[in-house]
Amino acid sequence: MKTEDLKNNKEYKYGFTTDVENIRSPKGLSEETIRFISNIKKEPKWMLDWRLKAYNRLKVLKEPDWQKPKYPKIDYQDLYYYSAPKSASDKPKSLDEIDPKILETYKKLGIPLVEQKRLNGIAVDAVFDSVSVATTFKDELTKKGIIFCSISEAIQKHPDLVKKYLGSVIPISDHYFATLNSAVFTDGSFVYIPPNTKCPMELSTYFRINASETGQFERTLIIADKGSYVSYLEGCTAPMRDENQLHAANVELVALDDAEIKYSTVQNWYPGDEKGVGGIYNFVTKRGACRGKNSKISWTQVETGSAITWKYPSCILQGDNSVGEFYSIAITNNFQKADTGTKMIHLGKNTKSKIISKGISAGNADNMYRGLVEIKNKAINSRNYTQCDSLLMGNKCGAHTTPYIKNNNATSTIEHEATTTKINEEQLYYCNQRGLDQEEAVSLIVNGFCKEVLQQLPMEFAVEAQKLVAISLEGSVG
Amino acid sequence: MKQNYDFKIDKIKDLTSEEISLRKKNLDLFYQTGFPNKKDEDWKFSDLNSILSNNFNKIANNDFLPREKEFKIIDEFEHNFISLFNGKLISKDFSYEEKNKILIKNFDYKDNLVLDSKNSLYFLNNALATGGFSLEISKNYKLKKPLVVYNNFSNSLKEKIVNYKNSIILNENSELNLINYINNSSKENFMANILESIKVKKDSSLNNILINNSKCNCYFYKYIKSDLEKNSNFENYLLSSGLKFNKLDIEINLNEENSNSSVFSALNLINKEHQEIKTRINHNAPNCNSYQKVKNVLNDESKGVYQGKIFVKNISQKTDAYQLSKALILNDAAEFDAKPELEIYADDVKCSHGSTSGSIDLNSIHYLKSRGIPEKEAYQMLINGFLCEILEKLSEGKIKNFLKEKLERQINGY
Amino acid sequence: MLNIKNLQATIDNKHILRGLNLNIKPGEVHAIMGPNGSGKSTLANVLSGKNGYDIKGEIKYNGVSLSKLSTEERAQKGIFLAFQYPLEIPGVNTNTFLKTSLNSVRKAQGEKELDTLTFLKLIKEKASELGIDEKFLSRQLNVGFSGGEKKKNEILQMKLLQPKLSILDETDSGLDIDALRIVADGVNSYKSKENAFLIITHYQRLLDYIKPDYVHVLSNGRIIKTGDADLGVQLEKTGYSNIV
Repeated sequence: MKTEDLKNNKEYKYGFTTDVENIRSPKGLSEETIRFISNIKKEPKWMLDWRLKAYNRLKVLKEPDWQKPKYPKIDYQDLYYYSAPKSASDKPKSLDEIDPKILETYKKLGIPLVEQKRLNGIAVDAVFDSVSVATTFKDELTKKGIIFCSISEAIQKHPDLVKKYLGSVIPISDHYFATLNSAVFTDGSFVYIPPNTKCPMELSTYFRINASETGQFERTLIIADKGSYVSYLEGCTAPMRDENQLHAANVELVALDDAEIKYSTVQNWYPGDEKGVGGIYNFVTKRGACRGKNSKISWTQVETGSAITWKYPSCILQGDNSVGEFYSIAITNNFQKADTGTKMIHLGKNTKSKIISKGISAGNADNMYRGLVEIKNKAINSRNYTQCDSLLMGNKCGAHTTPYIKNNNATSTIEHEATTTKINEEQLYYCNQRGLDQEEAVSLIVNGFCKEVLQQLPMEFAVEAQKLVAISLEGSVG
Repeated sequence: MKQNYDFKIDKIKDLTSEEISLRKKNLDLFYQTGFPNKKDEDWKFSDLNSILSNNFNKIANNDFLPREKEFKIIDEFEHNFISLFNGKLISKDFSYEEKNKILIKNFDYKDNLVLDSKNSLYFLNNALATGGFSLEISKNYKLKKPLVVYNNFSNSLKEKIVNYKNSIILNENSELNLINYINNSSKENFMANILESIKVKKDSSLNNILINNSKCNCYFYKYIKSDLEKNSNFENYLLSSGLKFNKLDIEINLNEENSNSSVFSALNLINKEHQEIKTRINHNAPNCNSYQKVKNVLNDESKGVYQGKIFVKNISQKTDAYQLSKALILNDAAEFDAKPELEIYADDVKCSHGSTSGSIDLNSIHYLKSRGIPEKEAYQMLINGFLCEILEKLSEGKIKNFLKEKLERQINGY
Repeated sequence: MLNIKNLQATIDNKHILRGLNLNIKPGEVHAIMGPNGSGKSTLANVLSGKNGYDIKGEIKYNGVSLSKLSTEERAQKGIFLAFQYPLEIPGVNTNTFLKTSLNSVRKAQGEKELDTLTFLKLIKEKASELGIDEKFLSRQLNVGFSGGEKKKNEILQMKLLQPKLSILDETDSGLDIDALRIVADGVNSYKSKENAFLIITHYQRLLDYIKPDYVHVLSNGRIIKTGDADLGVQLEKTGYSNIV
């Protein structure tokens, strides 16, 4: 590959904006903004009250500052909290009614909705900026009693489920960004799998951040009722912007008796340019409750984008014999910063958790694994296994590991291992000798390093993720 | 609830007005937070304020020097000694060594030891410290016998805090085996807050052992700041089971190439004992090694904590750093907390850590039992084996035997 | 010596032994062969009294039921299990372990405990018979031992403790030909009219060196065929699939 080609390739592949007129809420964070959002979404009073309660709580909370990556102060009064494509205001009934420009956008991203429907058998609930614009496969899912819709629709049509579970895993009074989300969330996905039902397809949402100066605040709620199973995919790409944009989503998962939720994320938002200008702040709260016995929640994430990634998808293992898993790849290059990991809280008996984290750092980037494993006194016969591996490329970047381990039980075991190494030069040499160029060799070796996590992803995602790993590290070696 | 205290600088004699104002400043800094609590990240797992307030009514600074200067000398091996009573240097004996090679004197508070710690106990020590010693070993001198520092605490320290500072300097190409021996057998509760600065110069080697004589109601805190020069060696053995509370806070700065450091610890905690080993190893130069192995056996309602941080600067290529913490939890009311941290900015390094905690291995118990060994003995055997392994690297000899025997007594009851 | 009637064993809701019958008399050598997962190691564990199994049926050892006896009591009464995977126990010195073990057994049998000197003399003698380097005895128990060294250590323990019933669980696995011969010689030299052996193995290999009086085929938790030494040879040729 020629140097020039390389350079072009390195630039953000998805850097474009779609010219769509926006409806915006008043600028800034206020009760008025919240009422505006609630009103435009025609929400019932209980929902507005819920938001206002969060807003009042927010007023006394402070932004946390313990994280490793520091960021310039965010002016919350300088952001728009709601922006929806105009053409989506009257909800389209089918794909044909969707603004062709939006569909074009997805095509560029490699997610042609129409084709997806036919080829992949994946139901897609696409979020364009803040409003869910299209949902496919509804009929097939409806037959099984599965509800897969936007959270706005769920608030209208399934208020009992929403009331019962919203905020039951991430309470209104949680930390700053989660509470901010509770006050101003605009849209997101809602999934309910009825008892003893295996969701017949992978459910998927692609997120995009589009309009500038828009903080994006999704809210996702997934409930797997007794004996059910669902696999949910979340993928993100964002167009290039100079200003930093805040993304503070909340994702809540609830697994009842014998239920299983598998949640996979590929996050590829705009990381800023090579000098560290621009990029998304990805401050997300993801938490799952294994509420029933024998339930299982498995998080898999591939984090290659954003200027700052700051999140800890967690599992609260309440039910006896429940299982929590966390598989993560976090790649940081140039001036990217990641502070990510998980929390596994063991409350029930015979609960098990597993954490596999792979951090890769190149350029001037900083990559931190931070995690908590806590086995409470009543969680007898519980187990945790944690493995955190870091790979460093060059000596301008950093790799850090900060696990918190608390074991309060004589029958439970916690095992933690971590290593930090550089890319093996012998392996590189071997690959070079077999004709691979530096970039290819690095990609091959890094993909090998990440294998345990990549193989957790559903097939469709795994291929995309592998490509991302390679793209993210281009130009970082040699 | 905030721990009550009654601290008076005017109890301290012979201070210049300058010293008094400096000490007052430090006391004010202490008053801002009081004793550290769990909101302080460094004290997250050991909330000293609440531990103290559960066990003390009011803490006052000690101004009492006992008349008694008698203490039992260790007779298991020949040694030099320094004897402190409530921190004050009382006697010394270096009869095994050449004259003029060892400089020992009272710690000089005009030397103003700056340890850049933000910890409130550091301010408290600055405000109230008296006593302590300065020790300096001459260039090219290797002590023939080990040096025991008897940290004697009198029986009359009820609800008192003893603060002092020590300074230890090993000049070029010198060698010292140092045994810090905590000696107190009263039932009274008291606290000790000690700051120590250690400098290990080029080609020198220091073996630093900490052990206590018996169970005591001591709430112990010691902060050690050590700086290592080229080709130097600094090994630590921490065996402090029996203290009611103990936090050993050790900072090791590997400032020049080819220096080595290690921290070994074996603790068998019972009742409500609470002990923490906290380390910060700064790899500030290339080609240095650090090794840490911390083992806890936790009975009853005891709590063991390990917070270890390895920091590797970007110039510190070829660093080899390792930390391992292992805990056996023998009772559901016991707890083990760990925070093993790596912060790494250089790529050509080998850094790893491991931490395991949990029950004793029942398969091993079964194996021992299948050879006819009764269950209780099988447990004891595994626990002994688990903890005594810490001493393995120590060279064979009387000191090792002494430590092993002490450790076994700590495990099997004083 | 050993009488097993309708033995059933369950662990974690898995029914592993499903009605096993076996009688062993003093002086006899029995071999139990069977495919993986047939319950061979479970039988060894159950006989040694390992916790965690739910047991039905009857095991009598010299007329006494084993069900109420702990692992160490069984060991003290002369039941020895050579483990398939001998455990590594860091920090525990091999000599200390062997001495504690021997004296526990001697004490239970009403014999005088050995002092260190006598013990060391005895252990050196036994070790040299098996070609075990003395240095091993001062190392941590099984830590860093090779597969062969661990198995030799098991046989050393057997010869030291002088059990009446020795159960060898896959003792041949992981051994090269020289180690196999040493182990077999160790067993053969300990064979007598009073002692019995139960050899659990997947392959005929060990039985080429230690000739069994009986060979049993274990399948699905039951003994489905019993024969003499020739049965083992036959199995080696035809495999288990023809019988099971």
